Amino acid sequence: MAKRFLFNALLPDFFEALHFFGELHAPVMTSDGVTAFRPALSLAEVRLDYRRTLIPPKKYLLPPRETTLDATPTEGYRLRTPADKEIILFGVHPCDLAGIDYLDRVFLSSSPDPWYARRRERFTLIGLSCEPDDFCFCGDIGDNHSAGFDIFLEQAEDGYHLLCGTDKGEAILASFKDLLHERRIPPPHKREKKLPPSCFATAREGEPLPATPMWDDFAQRCLSCGACSACCPTCYCFDVLEGGTLDGDRAERVRSWDNCLFRGHGEVAGGVNFRASRRERFQYRFRHKFHGFGPQRNTPACVGCGRCREACPVKIDLLDIVRQEGTHDSC
Amino acid sequence: MTAAEASVIPRTATIIAVSHLSADTALFSLRLEGERPHFSFVPGQFIQLSMPGGGEAPISLAAAPADDGTIELCVRRVGRITTMLHNSRSGDRVGIRGPFGNGFPLEEMTGRDILLIAGGLGMAPLRSLLHALLADRDRYGALTLMYGAREPAAILFREELVALARRTDVKLLLTVDFVREEQPAGLACNIGLLPALLAGIRFDPTSTSVAICGPPPLYGCTIGALVAAGCPEERIYLSLERRMKCGQGLCCHCAVGDLLCCTDGPVFRYGDIRNVPGAL
Repeated sequence: MAKRFLFNALLPDFFEALHFFGELHAPVMTSDGVTAFRPALSLAEVRLDYRRTLIPPKKYLLPPRETTLDATPTEGYRLRTPADKEIILFGVHPCDLAGIDYLDRVFLSSSPDPWYARRRERFTLIGLSCEPDDFCFCGDIGDNHSAGFDIFLEQAEDGYHLLCGTDKGEAILASFKDLLHERRIPPPHKREKKLPPSCFATAREGEPLPATPMWDDFAQRCLSCGACSACCPTCYCFDVLEGGTLDGDRAERVRSWDNCLFRGHGEVAGGVNFRASRRERFQYRFRHKFHGFGPQRNTPACVGCGRCREACPVKIDLLDIVRQEGTHDSC
Repeated sequence: MTAAEASVIPRTATIIAVSHLSADTALFSLRLEGERPHFSFVPGQFIQLSMPGGGEAPISLAAAPADDGTIELCVRRVGRITTMLHNSRSGDRVGIRGPFGNGFPLEEMTGRDILLIAGGLGMAPLRSLLHALLADRDRYGALTLMYGAREPAAILFREELVALARRTDVKLLLTVDFVREEQPAGLACNIGLLPALLAGIRFDPTSTSVAICGPPPLYGCTIGALVAAGCPEERIYLSLERRMKCGQGLCCHCAVGDLLCCTDGPVFRYGDIRNVPGAL
């Protein structure tokens, strides 16, 4: 039997040793009272029982703002390669692992995005089991198994079962032999389901959005603040901006997080706006989250992390619409 | 450079000629630098034009790239990037990525009568389609171009239209919204909107494939008439405009229903999007 059990007393040593494999980041409480993935030197800083971070781990793979290209008059455009830095992210919950898995499918498919791909190669994910709260509903979205991790820590009473998902994870665990013990890994516990089973079954081809007065209700309340999208582990849409020096010697192309709730998201030069109303923007986000666009068609992007439900300042809950799917006429 | 990198890094192109087609629209000839400047192209595809220091805008190619890597962009001065382009002159360097998108399905159109309906700047992408149809003229049936412009001075590619009007294997129907000057010599031109022009022509709807490109209101007011006349919905092709920032299906600004305009489009069959709210 492989040695895959870590006693609680040895967790600090395990955490300490992870520093050898890269820059170690984990959920910590920031000085302004927010739980965030940040560099963590010792386990004492880490909030092992955290519910969710405000911003999901997508920030490591898709920085809120990054320079992608440099341009000069003589050389034209050149790729700016992200820093060659290995990051170990410790304590990632299954929903966030699923979020990264979704982003991988978007950004590493037929034509891999060079910036995302480079960061992803240098990114190690160490998952951590969690307890659901009132906001999250991952049991309704995925199956009952965590996936997409290099190593996963499944909490038991006196320690953690360590699951290994990749060769990278195996290589790390191989160096921890002295810390680990043998114990039979129990079957994964079932995650709680909160919604009727039909709710996510309608994300299939050609399925129109449900017709419900809720769209108008939500559109009237929505502040277009974009919080739901900024905190979403699978919202990745980006704007592309460019600026240069006045003498024209250098220019930089930047991509930065955009937000489909913002009025300018569907606007083209000349002023035509293909999503001028809040209702249209709201439905656009819903369609992307639960029905998918392009190659991700029919793949719900929602991972059930509950962030948008917690973050919305006017208490808009997309699950209210999800519950309508398939129960009403379409609009 | 990997293929993935080549699709995100603009190639340098030099402006070699600018020809003004109307008060706000010009045809820019650009030559791509480097080895193998030619690229494969389907009429209706677009490129991303980079103005260094300004950014990118999606522009349809107005013709297939020449063997020496010369491409033609018909651009109206309407926003930041297009204004920068209009302020450029021959010898200035810009960036090009692409081509992107699907383009018009020439195979599906083979053997059929073809009706092209262009409104305003919509003439630009349809010009590349027209060139392809004329280059293989025998493969298609009756060919009609209907083109509507705001006023006579806004008619683009006037000299080419004069040449086209002389051909016996193409029917050319022009219309302008209004006239406040003499009509251009050599061009017979109606006054009125495209739907009125459409109502006045005779064609066999079941054997005709239709390609439409123009400002958003054009689609609504022509498609109804075409469908009422009996055109099959899957034989009506629409080239749509959307905010396409990346061209690769990633930035997610351009979805039409669950289709992405930059990768699943910009050419859509009417039948595929007729029930999509906000598509037209």
